Amino acid sequence: MSITLSKIPPGVQYIFDDEVRVRRFVERQVMETFEGWSYREIILPIFDYADLFALGMGKEQAEMTYRFTGRDGKLLALRPEMTSLVARTVATRFIKRARPIRLSYSGEVFRWDEPRGGRQYEFHQIGLEHIGSDQLEADTEALVIAIEALRRLGLENFTIALGHVDFFNGLAERLELSEDRRREMRTFIDRKQTEQLDRFLEDYTDPENRAALCRLTTLTGKREIIEEARALVSNERSVAALDDLERVCLIAEELGIASHIDIDLGDVGGLDYYTGLTFNIYAQGLGTALGRGGRYDQLLANFGRPEPAVGFSLCLDWLAQLLAPEIIRTAAEYKNEVTRLSGAGDIVSVFKEANRLRADGRKVEIV
Amino acid sequence: MADLTIALAKGRLQDEAIEFFRRAGIVVPDEARRSRRLLLDDESGRYSFIFVKPADVPVYVEYGVADAGVCGRDVLMESDADVHEPLDLGFGRCRLVVAGKPESEERGYNPLATARVATKFPRITADYFQQRGVPVEVIVLSGSVELAPALGLSEHIVDLVETGRTLRENGLVVIDEITESTARLIVNRASYHLKRDAMARLIANLRTCISEKPGQ
Repeated sequence: MSITLSKIPPGVQYIFDDEVRVRRFVERQVMETFEGWSYREIILPIFDYADLFALGMGKEQAEMTYRFTGRDGKLLALRPEMTSLVARTVATRFIKRARPIRLSYSGEVFRWDEPRGGRQYEFHQIGLEHIGSDQLEADTEALVIAIEALRRLGLENFTIALGHVDFFNGLAERLELSEDRRREMRTFIDRKQTEQLDRFLEDYTDPENRAALCRLTTLTGKREIIEEARALVSNERSVAALDDLERVCLIAEELGIASHIDIDLGDVGGLDYYTGLTFNIYAQGLGTALGRGGRYDQLLANFGRPEPAVGFSLCLDWLAQLLAPEIIRTAAEYKNEVTRLSGAGDIVSVFKEANRLRADGRKVEIV
Repeated sequence: MADLTIALAKGRLQDEAIEFFRRAGIVVPDEARRSRRLLLDDESGRYSFIFVKPADVPVYVEYGVADAGVCGRDVLMESDADVHEPLDLGFGRCRLVVAGKPESEERGYNPLATARVATKFPRITADYFQQRGVPVEVIVLSGSVELAPALGLSEHIVDLVETGRTLRENGLVVIDEITESTARLIVNRASYHLKRDAMARLIANLRTCISEKPGQ
């Protein structure tokens, strides 16, 4: 075979047989969970105007899209994520529908991003958006659904790291940093570089506050860390964030899902996008988050209709990688239950026999 | 099975890292230095150590195959790995520098010509020159980078300098320091949460062993 025929572009994938089974199974389980909570599925276009994604995910992020020109000369992009498409639809087409609107989606997205940690240029997201409610109940609902979906898939050893962007914002606000310096501080917190953060803060605040900030941004754990945080922080915004986190934790305890939740006050990964609670889902066996989500109350305004919203997405590729051995074992039984018919004899009787077996729900293969 | 898997960089940092862990009460059997085994447990059985090439430490940690690792800041920057780096362990101090022949220092980088730079650190090198508006041609070598200017392969190199002796002996001078590098503890983002207690213990334990650093 010639090299040009066998070579495939980096970052795309061909998926076959058992791996397909695994992905379809995972997709079905998750989508049925969403359906069970009255999220209606929306099928979105593979490409749309490039500007739309810049509005949705910010100019910098939208640079990662695959872009091409449409027949009308306008710049188009393969979808790098789904939320922009959902938000635009809700803001322009669903104006008259009652709120909240619950929507789910499943499909491939395409990003010109260095493939790492097993993620390709093309990967499959399954997610939901809950639009029109600014109540903590909506955030909690998203969390509860995520946990149900993962449990339904047979995952037990997973943790959802729960953060809140206003915790950091409240702290940063008082330091009166320039945009560049704020970014720098954020990187230190994101990578949990406590010493560097401490040195950085020297120019901005007294030693006591510095120590408190360094401690706060590495605080992770169960609900008791909120008490510790309260003793160290007084600004209104951060305190309100702690209130939200505490309420969600209390609800989670009542529901018996607290063991899956870990508070991470140093989560600043989604600061450009999220406006409230954030969550990152980690599972044993995977080095990166297999899903993330949170509250994004600013996004809908970019599409002309300010509305609160919360949502999350799971990466099907990673779920499939994690669950493949177990699912393939189960699927193997079904695969082996095949009745093989010889195609050598009279073709009509072969097909008659095959049809009879199929009517009984049997699996056939003409050999 | 051990609580945590830790990747250590073979070579320059290995002995110091093992010594550092020993001070923290985590004893890697002496066998590690003698044998060729690349995977072994500490004496308590709570930690598994894997020994890999320095540049591979961030890879193992980012993918979560190792929960934590020790590598130089230089290697970490070059890898651009998305990991936590909670501790600067302070040892293995060296500088990542741009070096060249003495006459090239006087000329500086002619900003209108393309700088030819030999290095083991292509990403850091490209970033450094591009940020200064200097067009750069990066020549990636895997060792003996100091030879490149002497043989006319490149005008400059970007490389690690500990004492500066190798540079001097090859007739090179430091033109600019890109960054200082020390050994870092890096931690996988998922492990940070999934193995929170064990990880918090490790970090707290190692933190107490970081000695006062000169000049800070």
